[in-house]
Amino acid sequence: MNRLKHNWRICRSVAAVTYKEWSAYRTHSLVSVIVGPVYFMVQYFIWTAVYGGQATLGGLDLQQMIRYFGATALIGYLIMDFADWNLSMLVRTGKFLTFHLRPVDHRSFALFQKLGHRFLGFVFEFLPCLLIFIFIFGIDMRPASLPWTIVSVLLAFLMNFYVNYTIGLTSFWLVQSGGIRSAFMLVSGIFSGALIPLDFFPHWLQVTQLFLPFQYIAYMPAMVFTGHYSLGGLELSIPEAVGMQGAAVLVMFGCNELVRRRAMKQFTAVGA
Amino acid sequence: MKRYVEVYKQCMYSAVQTASAYRMNFIVSSLITLIGNILFPLVTLLIYRAGTSFPGWSLYEVLLIQSVFTMSSGLSSLVFGGVMWTTMSHVREGSFEVVLLKPLNPLFYLVATTFSTESAGLFLGGAALFVFSAWHVGAIPALAWLQFAGMFIAGTAVLAGLSLMMAAMSFKWVGNSRISELADSVLSVGKYPLPIFPKAVQAAATMIIPVGMVGFLPASALLGRVQAGDFIAILPCFIFLWAGMWVYRHMIRLYEGVGG
Repeated sequence: MNRLKHNWRICRSVAAVTYKEWSAYRTHSLVSVIVGPVYFMVQYFIWTAVYGGQATLGGLDLQQMIRYFGATALIGYLIMDFADWNLSMLVRTGKFLTFHLRPVDHRSFALFQKLGHRFLGFVFEFLPCLLIFIFIFGIDMRPASLPWTIVSVLLAFLMNFYVNYTIGLTSFWLVQSGGIRSAFMLVSGIFSGALIPLDFFPHWLQVTQLFLPFQYIAYMPAMVFTGHYSLGGLELSIPEAVGMQGAAVLVMFGCNELVRRRAMKQFTAVGA
Repeated sequence: MKRYVEVYKQCMYSAVQTASAYRMNFIVSSLITLIGNILFPLVTLLIYRAGTSFPGWSLYEVLLIQSVFTMSSGLSSLVFGGVMWTTMSHVREGSFEVVLLKPLNPLFYLVATTFSTESAGLFLGGAALFVFSAWHVGAIPALAWLQFAGMFIAGTAVLAGLSLMMAAMSFKWVGNSRISELADSVLSVGKYPLPIFPKAVQAAATMIIPVGMVGFLPASALLGRVQAGDFIAILPCFIFLWAGMWVYRHMIRLYEGVGG
């Protein structure tokens, strides 16, 4: 019980300090208030034109599609992460060494940092954009089920973190993992469903996505938000979909733990 | 003038030499950029594969717009791409004085020294897609090529103007690495046929921030879809570039570094 309390205090402190630290740069977050709605507006007109007279596309009607893009934009603000870049920088500069001296392992520290950082994102990116979507674009942003959407977004938050952290861990072997980061961001951007719902992909590619982490980061929480999930011919109820997402997060955590243990044996910094 | 050409040539030579010193990094970065370009029109392909379309536009016509956009971005990035990041870095570190002390126009110095060889991948990726889509849209008359060339240069001027405005912004919005996202979001309008947007957006995208000239209008010229009135939009493109240069020079005067 004491251990739990102790961990909670560390989590709260790291998150609070990160929040305060980044609050000094809150105008960075405010860029999203312009960028997010502009991208959304473009998507809105693209899909309004593409639907034309068609009732549904990829199993979604126009309203669902608009809600889908609104949801992916907003969820993006809640789960955004750069743990890979941060870890890579710490390894390259040797500063990672100091984390061995701290009473908390770096992965937990980075996760708590992300919590604080994204809480800032919630205040300065998520909320203003939500209000813009509702009151300016007139989009119905009420989720089909609020509790399941919250759980799904939390799982997407963890999935995004563990995937990024694993990418960052490759720096222990490569020192400079910029190439892998860029390649991963490229693939993730497409296969997470942020650009276009995965229902539009060929069937074999949809099936492949069931076994890759990408769809659990953006597509699944957005579909849970809209209240309908299907991919590669697999139709799941919302609780089933969230259950599958939870299992995927556990698998990713296992992979991350495996790589992390091996990576720690690779670390050779002698001072920072 | 001759001196400026010589300096620019020397800077280009240095950039190529630097790229060849880190060949692997150059090859990987260029490859990723190239693959990124191949995947960029994926959304369009998937939309058309689903049996639907942008009304009045065939798949290859939309790909043509997107390829022109990519080529223009590549060209602009090659020449102006590094100005924003270098300015931002100098302002943040308080070392912009070093640029001001050079016996050259500071804007020219930054443009010349930030020649970005990695953007060659972006331009080549766009060019490959351009050849592919132009091949499929049918015969293009010589006059259309001429109109395209003029509009393409105007579109590249818009991108250069945007780069300079973003760079100028970093004098006041110190260290904000997300400034470029502002330009990217506005530019996303130019990647699709303009008629799908409301009239107000179309007007803004041709006369105010003429992003329509980056992909849509040059491609329309090749397809024989431009009206005489569309050529008026070339003027605001060069005004936009001039405005970018003016704003940048004006912001230099507001620089308040205390020594690099």
